[in-house]
Amino acid sequence: MSEQDQVGRGIGTDDWVAQHEDRVGAPQTGMARLAQQWTRLPALARWGIPLVIFLSVPFIGSSDYILRIGVNLGLFVLLALGLNLVVGYSGLLDLGFVAFYGFGAYAYAMLSSEQFGVHLNSLVALVLVIATTASFGFILGLPSRRLTGDYLAIATLFFGQMFAIFVVSSDEFQLPGMSDAVDLTGGANGITQVDQISVLGFTFETNLSYYLLVVALVVFFTVATKRIHFSRHGLAWRSLGEDAVAAQHMTIPTVRLKLLAFTIGAGVAGLAGAIFASVQQGVYPSEFMLPLLITIYAALILGGLGSIPGILLGAFIMVVLPEVLRFPDYSNGIFLAVLVISVVATVKSWKVLVWAFGGMVVIGFLVNGVLLAMQVPYLAAKEWITGPLAPVLGSWVFMPENRVLFGNIAFVALVGLAAWMSIMSRRTRIIVLPLALWLAIWTWEVRLLLEPSVTRQLLIGALLIVLMASRPQGLLGKPRVEVL
Amino acid sequence: MTTTALELTSVTKTFGGLVSLDALSLSVNEREVLSVIGPNGAGKTTFFNIITGVYQPDSGDVLLYGTSITGMTPDRVARMGVARTFQNVRLFLNLTVRENITAAMYGRTKSNLLDTLFGTPRARRERRENEERVLDALSFFGTRLQGYRLDQPAYSLSYANRRRLEIARAMATGARVLLLDEPAAGMNPAETHEITEIIGRLRSERDYTIVVIEHDMHVVEGVSDRVIALDHGVKIAEGSFDSVATDPSVIEAYLGRGSAAKK
Repeated sequence: MSEQDQVGRGIGTDDWVAQHEDRVGAPQTGMARLAQQWTRLPALARWGIPLVIFLSVPFIGSSDYILRIGVNLGLFVLLALGLNLVVGYSGLLDLGFVAFYGFGAYAYAMLSSEQFGVHLNSLVALVLVIATTASFGFILGLPSRRLTGDYLAIATLFFGQMFAIFVVSSDEFQLPGMSDAVDLTGGANGITQVDQISVLGFTFETNLSYYLLVVALVVFFTVATKRIHFSRHGLAWRSLGEDAVAAQHMTIPTVRLKLLAFTIGAGVAGLAGAIFASVQQGVYPSEFMLPLLITIYAALILGGLGSIPGILLGAFIMVVLPEVLRFPDYSNGIFLAVLVISVVATVKSWKVLVWAFGGMVVIGFLVNGVLLAMQVPYLAAKEWITGPLAPVLGSWVFMPENRVLFGNIAFVALVGLAAWMSIMSRRTRIIVLPLALWLAIWTWEVRLLLEPSVTRQLLIGALLIVLMASRPQGLLGKPRVEVL
Repeated sequence: MTTTALELTSVTKTFGGLVSLDALSLSVNEREVLSVIGPNGAGKTTFFNIITGVYQPDSGDVLLYGTSITGMTPDRVARMGVARTFQNVRLFLNLTVRENITAAMYGRTKSNLLDTLFGTPRARRERRENEERVLDALSFFGTRLQGYRLDQPAYSLSYANRRRLEIARAMATGARVLLLDEPAAGMNPAETHEITEIIGRLRSERDYTIVVIEHDMHVVEGVSDRVIALDHGVKIAEGSFDSVATDPSVIEAYLGRGSAAKK
């Protein structure tokens, strides 16, 4: 074989490897070029720039409201980083994770409030909380020795639900042999007037102090995760998540590492919970239930499982976006941007793009004409729209006086059209696309904008679906391959 | 004087009523290449699974350099010095080539999480050593797994390269005994030839003791010091390749009763 003759060693010379550098071309699109510029920055800058931005937030005229969102974001990031060890690395689908957050919060509240008249030193309380939550993590990890996949998910989900029910119903807690029922958790009312964390004489009272505390913790845990990623344990966890059987054959004690992941993940969640209890000086059962779990998972998946910048970005989106969408002006802009971007991203030919958006504009004016001719009562533009998009949308969107009625009809039509489009041939779909686009925008402006608190959930859901469809690996995740 | 690296004494394993291994006794000398052949379902892979601790034998004992490793979990067996590859390649597909190999060094390194967090001298030293070991294990397979491929995910590798990487990963555990489960399965003639050569070099250059399960008789002929034929969990022949390949009971096991007589 000629390949073997070329090199003294005889086997395994690979021209493909040798020529790799020549084959790697320059990035084509603007986004890719931008991304390349960013990755070429030194690591210190890539991590330092966001950090500086976050550190300067409190000092450039921000309100308590923004700081509070920042604190929530930080705690959320801690949870996501903790869960990442278990789910992202070790591949153990833990659906009871939020219970640890709740447990940490309740444990801290019980140790630092009038509930039992106990007011421990904050440091002692924190250490106790982290230790007990971590041991609970260890216990919940025990089934993972044998259960994997869906079965583990069910077992842990059960644990999470058990915690939620226990907390709500333990305002009259009674064991056999006890004379009186004890109020353990305050039931649905929770525990109020929890002491704030106080370390070495400094009490965390203001939102600013909590914000800085949380930023510090996020930095610490991010650096820690980053170090763990390529370390002995990180690799062991990640190979465990890939193939537990093979990992065990490669000297990795899988049981011990699974338990370690559960324990550390729970400990981090416990710490976050304790801080949460201290921030809002109270704990309430509704805060530690399924919606939070789903949001954390959404953040992990959105950002990209196992990718550290991805987790941070995913958490940021899942916490900040719902807040931004409370304001109709912002949500309007975001809706239109998402619509346009997703159409541009999926439609490759720009002739179709011109047809889609051109047709959409024409349909809008046609409907204006028809409805005006039918003398449907309408609202003047300045009565229903504000913000930067007002001049454009005001003259194009026909706003009937009876927004609810028209909006409901349009909404049903839109859902029907979307369902129909999913089974159309490609040609027909392109023909109908302008109508669908116009209908989507019209429904949004007429009806959905009326109730921002509901529509923001819809919008986030739609955003997640669009993202998952176009980038299943998450925003910053690497594409994963299961079986080849 | 040869030392016995691996020894099975009268190992029996049954699954329900099916006897997979029936009082199997054998020993493998240090630096020996032993091939195990036999028709499908003969108990070859069960034999590997018993050694590596996937299954516990119903009776009998597995000894590694005279120490019993019966009842140990696979990770302990691997740390004791027995590493394997799998019949259907089981790499960590979404990890890079480098990470696949480094992960297998868990058992021979000692850094704990605190070492990692604070970058202690121990963590840094082990990281350096691991880096060298990765290159050392891969150098065995030429340049094809080096260069940019080091940082490519394992799923991007060709089938033959995955098989090679799996052998490199087994080497990285620091084991002295390698169990290779059909290393040449699915390979083309050139690659099969190369695998034969590599198994020979593993023994001559790195002093590994090697047990190979293989169906490709060219490989078996090329690498084996000794061949064992299994059928229904029973050792039906043992000896040099030529003596086993011509043994009537082996031909009967492969081709059915009466075939040997006709020949």
